[in-house]
This record gives sequence, C-alpha cells and structure tokens, in this order.
Amino acid sequence: MSHKMDSNKLEKHYWIWPIAIYLFLGGLGGGTLFVAGMFDILYGPEAGYITALAVLAGVACLGFGSFLLVFELGQPLVFLRVFLSGTAILKYGACLLILAMGFGFVNFLYYLPAEWQLFYYSWTWIRDLCCWLMAICGLGVMVYTGVFLASMKAKAFWNTPALPVLFTVSALSTATVLLAILAGVWPMPADFTVQLAGAAHAAEFDAHKLVEELHFIDSILVIAEVIVLLVYVLMMRAAGNITARTIAIKWLQGAWAPLFWGGMICLGLVIPFFCYRLGGAGAEFIAPVLVLAAGLLLRFMVVFSDQRHEIAGERRFYNRLPKGDEAFLHEWKAPY
Amino acid sequence: MTRYAMVMDQRRCIGCQSCTVACRTWNELPLDILYNPVVGEGVVGEFPHVHQTFTPLICMHCDNPPCTICCPCKASQQDEDGIVWVESEKCMACKACVNSCPYGARDVSALDAPLHSYVRKCNFCKDRVREGELPYCVATCHQKARIFGDLDDPNSDVSKLVNGLNTNRIFPELGTDPQVYYIPDLGGVKL
Repeated sequence: MSHKMDSNKLEKHYWIWPIAIYLFLGGLGGGTLFVAGMFDILYGPEAGYITALAVLAGVACLGFGSFLLVFELGQPLVFLRVFLSGTAILKYGACLLILAMGFGFVNFLYYLPAEWQLFYYSWTWIRDLCCWLMAICGLGVMVYTGVFLASMKAKAFWNTPALPVLFTVSALSTATVLLAILAGVWPMPADFTVQLAGAAHAAEFDAHKLVEELHFIDSILVIAEVIVLLVYVLMMRAAGNITARTIAIKWLQGAWAPLFWGGMICLGLVIPFFCYRLGGAGAEFIAPVLVLAAGLLLRFMVVFSDQRHEIAGERRFYNRLPKGDEAFLHEWKAPY
Repeated sequence: MTRYAMVMDQRRCIGCQSCTVACRTWNELPLDILYNPVVGEGVVGEFPHVHQTFTPLICMHCDNPPCTICCPCKASQQDEDGIVWVESEKCMACKACVNSCPYGARDVSALDAPLHSYVRKCNFCKDRVREGELPYCVATCHQKARIFGDLDDPNSDVSKLVNGLNTNRIFPELGTDPQVYYIPDLGGVKL
C-alpha cells in the first residue's frame, strides 16, 4: 500500500496499521494453535473436539494476518521470492505461518462431524502428528512476532529482549481468551464429555470445565502481562538511549499516558483480572473483549513507537524542508 | 581486495547541498527521496566566537549491514567491494531494511506507481565507480569535502586520511561497522 508523502523522515512511520493488526493476529492465531495443541497433547485427542473451532479460528487469524502483511507490501507479487531465497527472520516467520495454518487445518478436519469425514478418518497418526507440529509452529509464530520487531537495531524502543517476552505473554493471554470463547461451540454435541486418561484432578472433562481452567490460566497471564509490560516500559524510561527514554515518557506521562494506564493497564488487564475472580457474565463476556482489545492496542502502540536513533542536526534539516506541498509535488511527479 | 569507503571532511564542508542536488539529478530520484542530505545543528557559540558544522549523510555501506541480513528476498545485498545496494526487481518493499537501518539511509517513495514501489538507497554510484569514475556527489563537491576510494589500498587518499587523522563514525556502538568516516570540524589532527 502506498504511504502518505512525508518530508520528515524522523516522523515517518514505515509500518502502519496493517502491520499492527498482522502482529496481533499472528500472536493470537499462533498462540491459539499452541494452546489448543497443548490441550490435545496433555488431555488426549478427545479434548480436540472442544477446541476444534478455536483451531479453525486460529488458522483464519493467521490467514487474514498474512493477507494484511502482503497487502502492506509495495510489490505483493514479489512476495513469492520469500520462499525461494533469504535467511531473514521474516522468511522464517512466513514459512512458520504457512506451516501452522496447514497443520492446524488438517488437525481441524479430524474433528468434523462423523458424516463429513472422508477416507482419512482412520489415519489417526496424521492427526496426532499434526497436533504436535501445529503446536510447535504456533509457538514459533507467536514468538517470531516479537523477535521480528526486536531484531531492528535502529529502533530504540524495539531493540530489546523484553519485547518478544511481552508479545509472547500477550499472545498467550489473547489465545486463551479465544479458546474460552469458542470452547465446545461446534462441532461437538452439547453433552459431550471426555474421559481423561492423563488428568489427575478429574475423571471427566467437558467444555465448561475447560472454560473454567482457561479463565484461571488467563487471570494469571494478565497479571504476568502487567508485570512484563511495566518492566519493559520502566526499563526504557531508565535507559541511557535518549530516543527510548523519550518514547517511554510519552507512554508513561505524555500524550499516550491515558491509552497506556487507562486503556492497556486498567481496562485491558486489571479489570479482566477482577472479572475472572468474580466470575459470571463479567468473566464470560467483558473480560475476553477487554483482553483482546488490549492485545490489539499494545501492537498499535508498539508499532507506532518506531522512532530511530537521531543523528545530530537531522531533525533541524527535516523540519526546514517544505511542508504542505504534497499535492503540488504529487502533480509534479512526471516523468518519474 | 578492494573495500570502498568515503571520508567526509567536515572542516571543508560548507553545507551548500551541491552533493544532495547532484545525487538527486544523477539518480533521477523522486521528489520525496534524498540519498545524502547535509545536516547541521546551526550556528553555535557566542559572537564573535561562533562556528557551524555540517554533517553530510549517506548510506554508510557498513561492513556488518543490518539491512541485508533482514531482507527476506535477498534484494538488499552487499558486493565484495563493500557496496550495499538494492536490486529493485527483487524488492517487495516490505520495509524491513528501512526499519533496520540506523542511519535512515533507505526510503520508499510515495510517488511510485501503486504496487510498484521499492526501496531506494545510495549505491556509491557503483556503475560509475566500476568504470574508474568517482561517485557523482564526490565529483560534484567543489570543496573536496567528500573523498572516496579503496580503503585497502595504502596509497589511496581515503586510506591515508583514515589512518593518519582522528576520524569519527556514526553509531559505531551498534556494531554495524560503518565505512563512512568523518574528519571533525574542530580537530582531526592525530595527537
């Protein structure tokens, strides 16, 4: 997609909303496949009937995220080169995305209603293998979204090991929410229960119990996310790098402070924690929406905190370039 | 082995932006792209003890370029003589390299045709250099503030200046090993 013409390179955002949504959906989709795969592995393949729709939703998230990634490119058709060459993090991420979607979809096919099943139904080893591979690739995608940004040396606020940790915890939290929303909705019957071979605390397991467990797990994850988020931003606030420090001040005390404290910390993480503790409609309806919104807001805030180290005199130079001439310059573009 | 590098003599640079304009003309750049702006912090000091320093910027053609490592299409590449360049046909304009460059030396034009944009950057005028000529910005600089040559040739001006004077580099702490050296305005003499 084309970008707005901006004469000041220091203020220019090269990655905008499609990348923010892509990073959110990548974390959400990858995390969903990972958590659902872990449930299958820990509780046996029967548990997959409860999480199957979430797996499909996870695949859809990755698919739509990939579409946004390609949509954001200057030359989308050249994207195929990614699979033919290169050893960049983006290439590994793209491969993991494709593999996670493939394995997740094959895994989902095994949980379709019996009348929809085809010849593959008896080959359960494929389902088990795909479950493992789906979880591994999902984990890879989830971690990659943070590593991808953290690898940018030029970006003071991104180039830190804390960012992949934050994105991973956030991805796990949003994935847990998605699983809780879609657990047992389809294709399993309403009275479906799983006889658990490996669970010590319950002989039987159903969607309701899974949702309770997921709410408990997410209440821990949101608190972990608050801690990691505060450590990350406060670490940047105390950093020696002036660019990182300026962005952290903007988050903590500046223009973005209402978004950070009110939107992300309070509405997105602390209130969901109390909703989970109180249970009922708050845990089922309010907390999931707030956690997902906080995940998206986090990606937007991080993506737009992309200022690079400033070279002395650069800002003065770009500030002195003509402004407001975009329309004139656009008309002037011929013969280029 | 050849290793091209550039020295910017800040004692000589007067901030006339001739190199900026010459580069734009030679490379037929769109209006929103600059490869080598000459920046400065303005006049400092108190009259009559005032001075002004200019810093000509350009791609640093780093020895350890973060922009080539992050390119998923191998469009961004480095030749054996150290020149970092972009093969436009292979570039999908994902802008990973733009975001990874600490020097802001890469950009995409908003004036490119939709779905046909690509990342642009200085390539040390490699077509001229390989025919024995100087990069256009160097050839244009009437102050001789830009010096270009082979760093591995002990008889080149670049090698003599880098080894004989105190020179600075921009953000060497990032580990990119930039190959553009600056002779500071007030100083430069090796003690």
